Amino acid sequence: MSTNVVDRRRVNGPARSVEPVYASTETADPFAEGREDGRALDQVRPIFMKTGPLSAQESELSSSATASAASGSAFYEQGKIRVSCAVYGPRQGRKSNARMGSFDCDFRYAPFSCSWKRRSHVKAADEKEISLMLEHAIAPAIRVEAYPKACIDAFVTVIESDGRAATIAAAINCISAALADAGIEMYDSVAGCSMGLRGSQWVADCTQAEEDVSSCSALLAFMPSADEITYILQHGKSTPEQTDQAVQTCTNLCTRVYAVICRYLQSSLE
Amino acid sequence: MSQGDVAKSGQVVFAIEAFKRIHPVEFQRRFLSQGTRHSGRGFSQFRATHVTKGTISTAQGSSTVRIGNTTVVCGIKAEVSEPDVKAPNEGYLVTNVDLSPMCSAHFRPGAPGETAQVSSEHLHRLFGGNVVDPGSLCIEPGQAVWALSADIVFLKYDGNVLDAAVIALTAALEDLQLPKAEFDSATGVVSADKTMGQRLKLRKRLFPATFSLVDGAYLVADADDAEEQLATATVLVVLDDNGRLVNIWKRGAGDINRATISRCVEDAGTRKAALAKELE
Repeated sequence: MSTNVVDRRRVNGPARSVEPVYASTETADPFAEGREDGRALDQVRPIFMKTGPLSAQESELSSSATASAASGSAFYEQGKIRVSCAVYGPRQGRKSNARMGSFDCDFRYAPFSCSWKRRSHVKAADEKEISLMLEHAIAPAIRVEAYPKACIDAFVTVIESDGRAATIAAAINCISAALADAGIEMYDSVAGCSMGLRGSQWVADCTQAEEDVSSCSALLAFMPSADEITYILQHGKSTPEQTDQAVQTCTNLCTRVYAVICRYLQSSLE
Repeated sequence: MSQGDVAKSGQVVFAIEAFKRIHPVEFQRRFLSQGTRHSGRGFSQFRATHVTKGTISTAQGSSTVRIGNTTVVCGIKAEVSEPDVKAPNEGYLVTNVDLSPMCSAHFRPGAPGETAQVSSEHLHRLFGGNVVDPGSLCIEPGQAVWALSADIVFLKYDGNVLDAAVIALTAALEDLQLPKAEFDSATGVVSADKTMGQRLKLRKRLFPATFSLVDGAYLVADADDAEEQLATATVLVVLDDNGRLVNIWKRGAGDINRATISRCVEDAGTRKAALAKELE
């Protein structure tokens, strides 16, 4: 159900609109015969990434940073998940006496990005929560003591989402890439990965269909070179041993994702 | 190349970049006064345009459009709602343009700014009854209609909001598949079958072309961000499939005479031919 508050700055639709009741054509278990896309249980979806301007059509002159360009940007795809991020900074911060720089993240879903319903233009509670999650996951990696009185802003928009936890992990990877593109000093890039618990088996990088039948999900943000976990989020039901197992496996998967991101960043320099 | 040459060419590029940043007007004038543009394009030359349909699987209709460095994604979500009492057989098409700091530093985070508001309104007026027949969105007269929310999200901004938005929305509407819906009068519930989708029959397709009067003197087609900053007037010409004029919108304080407008309409016709091929 989505109720539209009259938003004077936008073109408004009808006051109330809902999704029709869709005849469920597939009640089949997405895990019936292995995974739907044929992946192994510990396999992450294929990653594609591009930093800098999205199009490659630029002359040598226009590739220089103009006043209207972001310091760094990245477009990240993982399977069907598509996330875009722009980083501004370091630029003047709000507190003029701050010894350390600050990192702010603004996360939102595009209205058409979620399969379960159209999202409202007004920022919902979960978007604000995820913004904070991303800040907590990425801030430890940034050398904030190198940027006193400055702030670094990241703006993330999810164009298409496929699995709530997986999309947040993708956002973490996207921001890491954009920060690297912006040349922000960091201890290490942060790689994110998620898992879902099906029965007693952890499955890596669940799609929305797979997540809907999972009893628990885990999200991990990890700095492989520093060997430090910056963020863990687990929600649902799992025993301490299962959670421990998830953290171990996720750490390994994050290392693999990190290698992919580094390869893309290196090739963007060539 | 000797070390000396590399150093010199590096210095030359740095000097050009600094000049562009510090004195943008003079920088553009150097090119425009010689009959060319800083990107090397001719005055009537539009940037290479690429249109891809069906890029977003979570939306009922979608498209991605790239005009040079301007990249935009349009997604249409279809929901069901009660029709307006005054128009019981008509559905809704709600268009919104989203310009955020993600695409350019021009735009502030938070509520839509001026450019976004104006663009959303204009798009709504253009597409409202012209392109989509509101009657085709009716499920059950007086009870249930489709409410299409079209959101045009800019991923990268390098000038020319309206052209990109109009092309993206046209392509997304062509891509749109509405599930077959049934209204149950007993329960008031609309049920739909995703496997049976129908394309909308559009009244016409819209082909836009934007021209800007840069520095009060030079009329250029498809201005990029640097040129747009110095434009004193902008003309948007929208044609339909038969080359008929749907909309001319001139904004800004600069003077544009009738001859220039006629030329714009002519050039828009040429642009339409190129766009029609891309939209296939």
